[in-house]
Amino acid sequence: MNVFLLVRDKGCNFPFRFSEYLKPHKFVAEIQIFSLYYVVLVKAKIYVHLNYTVPCVRLLNATHQIGCQSSLSGNVGVLHVLESEDNLDWVLKSGPNPPYLVILESPLFTRYSEHLKNGSRRVAGVVVVAPNANPLEAFSPHTTCPNENSGVYSEDYDPALAHCNVTVWNPFGNGLAYEEFDFPIFSLKDDNDTHVIRQCYMEHNRAVNGSTPQYPLCAMQLYSHMSAVTNTATCMRRNDIDFSISPEMVCDPLGDYNVWASTRPINNTAKGHKMWESVVIAAARLDSRSFFFDIAPGADSGVSGFVTLLAAAHALRNATQEAPPNRTILYAFFQGETFDYIGSSRMVYDMQNNQFAVDLDNVHSVLEIGQVGLHTESKLWLHSDPVSRKNSSVLFQVRKLIENLQSAAGGLNISMDEPSVSQPLPPSSFQRFLRARPIPGVVLEDHQSAFSNRFYESMYDNAEYLNISYPPNMTPEEQLEFVTDTAKALTEVATMVAKALYMQAGGSEPQLSSIKADAQIVTRLLYGFLVRSNNSWFQQLIPSDLMSHLGKLGYKPTNFYVGVTQQSSEPTLLVQHLLANLTGSTVNITQENCQNQREDENDKENKHMYYYMWVQGAAPPNSTQREGFCIRSTVRLSKALSPAFDMREYTSKDYSTWTESRWKSIKGRIFLVASHDLEMLTLGVGIAVLLTSLLLTYVISSKADMLFSSGREPTNATY
Amino acid sequence: MLQGKQEPRQITMNLERLPNEEKLSLCRKYYLGGFAFLPFLWLVNVVWFFREAFVKPAYTEQLQIKTYVKRSALGLLLWVAVLTTWITIFQHFRAEWGEVGDYLSFTIPLGIP
Repeated sequence: MNVFLLVRDKGCNFPFRFSEYLKPHKFVAEIQIFSLYYVVLVKAKIYVHLNYTVPCVRLLNATHQIGCQSSLSGNVGVLHVLESEDNLDWVLKSGPNPPYLVILESPLFTRYSEHLKNGSRRVAGVVVVAPNANPLEAFSPHTTCPNENSGVYSEDYDPALAHCNVTVWNPFGNGLAYEEFDFPIFSLKDDNDTHVIRQCYMEHNRAVNGSTPQYPLCAMQLYSHMSAVTNTATCMRRNDIDFSISPEMVCDPLGDYNVWASTRPINNTAKGHKMWESVVIAAARLDSRSFFFDIAPGADSGVSGFVTLLAAAHALRNATQEAPPNRTILYAFFQGETFDYIGSSRMVYDMQNNQFAVDLDNVHSVLEIGQVGLHTESKLWLHSDPVSRKNSSVLFQVRKLIENLQSAAGGLNISMDEPSVSQPLPPSSFQRFLRARPIPGVVLEDHQSAFSNRFYESMYDNAEYLNISYPPNMTPEEQLEFVTDTAKALTEVATMVAKALYMQAGGSEPQLSSIKADAQIVTRLLYGFLVRSNNSWFQQLIPSDLMSHLGKLGYKPTNFYVGVTQQSSEPTLLVQHLLANLTGSTVNITQENCQNQREDENDKENKHMYYYMWVQGAAPPNSTQREGFCIRSTVRLSKALSPAFDMREYTSKDYSTWTESRWKSIKGRIFLVASHDLEMLTLGVGIAVLLTSLLLTYVISSKADMLFSSGREPTNATY
Repeated sequence: MLQGKQEPRQITMNLERLPNEEKLSLCRKYYLGGFAFLPFLWLVNVVWFFREAFVKPAYTEQLQIKTYVKRSALGLLLWVAVLTTWITIFQHFRAEWGEVGDYLSFTIPLGIP
């Protein structure tokens, strides 16, 4: 902490505190206003606050803490813009004014992160400038073997397949997002803020011709102090200790809600096994992540899969209502899969404990849609589990499912193949079902072995990476309706998935030709999730009280980081309402009945089977008043909180134990610092003035009689 | 409301003004009170009566006051030693003790082990 800053801060706080002790008085109030004005003015003159700060935050699991944090009072360092490697030497060794706050482009950060981490005594923090276009080389801050220890391939299941022994799924993974840094790391967009920072650096800190830069220097302060520490067991314990004066929560479990729906209504009040029910689960994952807290576009890793499933569900609406197949199709969208399969492990746990609408005996088979956004030459791969296939009945069912998929692809511009026989499943929610019992299932992916996604779980796995682009000069409304090539390709996949599901559920042949996904819907979904969440189509399909959520997302892509259980994240709410609109039907009932989950005043049965939601609809052309309507669907939310937190087993090896630390403030600012000598001089002069004035006061008061004798005379005279 | 100006209450905590017997009884009270796990009473006793016990010219009660002050000082020293040791140990090992450390803490610092 530098003294210069400290002194200024104290100077600002003093009038506030001082005035608290004084009685309200006009004069005092004036002083107060004046000093407040003065404080605001001084602060504004000293500091330039950063508008758009995206931090890396601390997460914890059973054994580790990962992420970044600053000290309680923020980390301060002299700005240094890192452009090349000899510059790095300045930061780590030769620079005369450590610690430094390093600003660099994100490819350089990937390269130097290890150096910066080790030299943390000279590094106060790092600001990573996100480029406006995706880099050429691959980048994934995830590990090479995602969810290594929470999938089905443990040592007990098959030692040969454990720990990605056969296939390294994410070869570009550098594990950055799972490392711990003891300084703050922020991300900035390449815009005004970074321009100000660069300018400040150029003017004050740049060493010209090998000379050392002169004071005052441009410095930056980053605040991202994290409350939780060590591991989940520690922070959950500290959450529970509440005999202190102000009990304070330090961390929260990661989690949210899974979204699910069924083609035939299933009684959701009576949990557990359903007689004569056989369900085909069609699954996709909702969440994603990147190194930074609120950037997680997950275009290929999440969005491509669940958008395909949403479109397939929509394509199946009419067919499943007109000619219902023998089996029920259950669409499941899992949350928190990035963090050791939170959503799927919870659903399986609930099925095992009769807490879900069906149980594992009801599950016929599973078809999971993984990453399908990048299928080059329209080729998709059907992954299945080599271990459970040793069971002949499972093998038979898997073969049948694959046959269904392949015959569904007939007539479409898609070819499909299977990877080598001995290859295990890629990271997928289906692995959690296999952990419970050998269920036949297939995972649909755009890669044969290693991911074709070169930006897995990174900020570059975005619309640009999926080639979603629009002709220039289009209005948002036109972009929403414009059918991109990516959307066309995913529509084909969705049609194929829908047909395969229909056959898998035992549907009748004649209906098959009528099943077709709508490219318009797919392109809108992609636009909504990857380009702009707050669009007119999404607005029509949600209740009015969710408008604020949509407003918060603004004109950015959706953030698919799962977040903590306290609040439902936007993706969950959006998918819930989209799925309801795409699979449900409009019923003509009043808003009150709709919101009370009934079709008329005496209806007490339907709420067990259906979920009713009142959505705000669109405004007619010549009006601003939206015309709402009621949607009846089978869409439900189910908890996606790791069972470890219900069982209070914070060191669980079977279930996810991820928690997110709480924090008080996350902000950054830049300002000029004076040299250490000048700071000390200022402090010294201040103290000297104080002491002199004390001395003077003492002298004056002791000699008061002498000094003020003439002044006293009138009072004496009144005797 | 208008009131006449009140004289500040005379605080008779000046030992000089007390008769010697009362000094002794006061010193005794503080000394005994310290045994109720109140080492600060002993501290006050030592500071307050030090002059009376060791500097002032001898008087009848002084011997007793001396004893009380000495014992108070001894007790105080014991307390200081015990507390210092415990605080050092606790601060040093709190993080290492983990669960026990947390349960022994009144306020847990944020963001450090």
